[in-house]
Amino acid sequence: MPRIIKKIILLFFLSFCPLLSLSGCGLPGVSGSDNSTIKIASQSSTESQIIANIVAQLIEHELGYKTSLVNNLGSSTVAHQAMLRHDADISATRYTGTDLTGILQLNNIKNPQKATRIVKKEFKERYHQTWFPSYGFADTYAFMTTQDFAKKYHLNTISDLQKIASNLKAGVDTSWMNRKGDGYKDFTKYYNFSFAKVYPMQIGLVYDAVEAGKMQTVLGYSTDGRIKSYNLKVLRDDKRFFPPYNCSMVVNDSLLKKYPKLAPILHRLDGKINLKTMQTLNYEVDNNLLEPSVAAKQFLEKNNYFKGDDRK
Amino acid sequence: MTNLNTWQQFWYYFAHNGLFVLQQFSRHFLISIYGVSFAAIIGVPLGIFIARRKRLSDIIIGIANLIQTIPSLAMLSIIMLGLGLGVNTVIMTVFLYSLLPIIKNTYAGMQNVDSDILDSGKGMGMTKFQILYLIELPLAFSVIMGGIRNALVIAIGITAIGAFVGAGGLGDIIIRGTNATNGGAIILAGALPTALMTIISDFVLGFVQRKLSPKTN
Repeated sequence: MPRIIKKIILLFFLSFCPLLSLSGCGLPGVSGSDNSTIKIASQSSTESQIIANIVAQLIEHELGYKTSLVNNLGSSTVAHQAMLRHDADISATRYTGTDLTGILQLNNIKNPQKATRIVKKEFKERYHQTWFPSYGFADTYAFMTTQDFAKKYHLNTISDLQKIASNLKAGVDTSWMNRKGDGYKDFTKYYNFSFAKVYPMQIGLVYDAVEAGKMQTVLGYSTDGRIKSYNLKVLRDDKRFFPPYNCSMVVNDSLLKKYPKLAPILHRLDGKINLKTMQTLNYEVDNNLLEPSVAAKQFLEKNNYFKGDDRK
Repeated sequence: MTNLNTWQQFWYYFAHNGLFVLQQFSRHFLISIYGVSFAAIIGVPLGIFIARRKRLSDIIIGIANLIQTIPSLAMLSIIMLGLGLGVNTVIMTVFLYSLLPIIKNTYAGMQNVDSDILDSGKGMGMTKFQILYLIELPLAFSVIMGGIRNALVIAIGITAIGAFVGAGGLGDIIIRGTNATNGGAIILAGALPTALMTIISDFVLGFVQRKLSPKTN
């Protein structure tokens, strides 16, 4: 009998170990449970996850700091909240147009340079966050249809949808539905038509929905690799409703202060990912079954981690 | 990719992302294990403590029951308000859900120890402490372990939902599968390891339980 008791006591103490380490600095083996890791927020879109992984792996490879992803956030508003609470210190993908209207609650600005200038200044002043230069691509919203459908109704621009809109089912991004400034409500006012039925859905599903004919038109991201693989027709935003969505990372100033070596490394990515690169990366993940982290690793290795591109 | 069927895609996925899946697997497992161990550290002593106190046991088990009725997604959101996004929120949620099976089983195990055996222990001049460690705990051990096994199975399922608050784990892969074109294979790549983990860990704990239980002859 006593041997069994010894075993039980031993088991008990073994299970105590994790508790003790929690009071110290996080749980061993689970990155992100302590304060010493750099936490990177990424949204549920493929693009966001790829870029978050690129940023994370760049930091780990070049500086050896531990990083951890806060993944699958629903929208940039959630990512912003996470940044304010320091649940994350880097937001991997933020878009000027989205943040201008969504977070800063300012009016839509159609000029890309002016928009970038304003978000940079406002984020610095209001939230003490640094808005980095763009990665080099803009991910705008775009209405798209299948080629056949576009041909049948002679669709080239969004305005062309007006005459048939009352019969159309449209699939859109969930976060776009209730957005102020560039959301659905403003869209209907600006273009002066609305769809018969609008289905808010997870952004990744819209391309399949239009391809399968479940909906006639969907609102998707212009960088998505599936536009290419499904050969979808992107309708031109002829009235320029959608503001510029240049993509950048946003970093808490407190983090940059804590790790002075970080900023030059992060600046290596400035302008390095153009629209075509992004489409290819998205295609690799969405279509060729690569995990974002694997695609990110391949991308960084192919470019030799952008060594020698440091800026002061 | 479209020329491959789902199973071929599944193997292709593993061939290209095997290491990543392994990382997420261990992360998923650790999150579940941590939550359950903390619950065991709190729950087992609590169960022992309330075993002889009828009124207190009603209250404690009532509270644990109440926690269990909250849907897991709601629980995650509530805890997220306090702990923020990230892995700690999920560990806390797993901890709370693991409390009920562990407390309840410890309680039941202690209750079911035959009072005649306790009496004979007392008759032999054992102290209360000796009765607990020499009679009650060994006899209740398999029931307590049953509770921990039960908790771990629940925990692995809850951790999969934890991907929604950015904790990572195999749930991440499942969510990504829902986003990708023809993500069926990716969903399987996340879901099958989760199921496998449940089966394996239940089997291992069952083995530990058999090894540590007192032999009856």
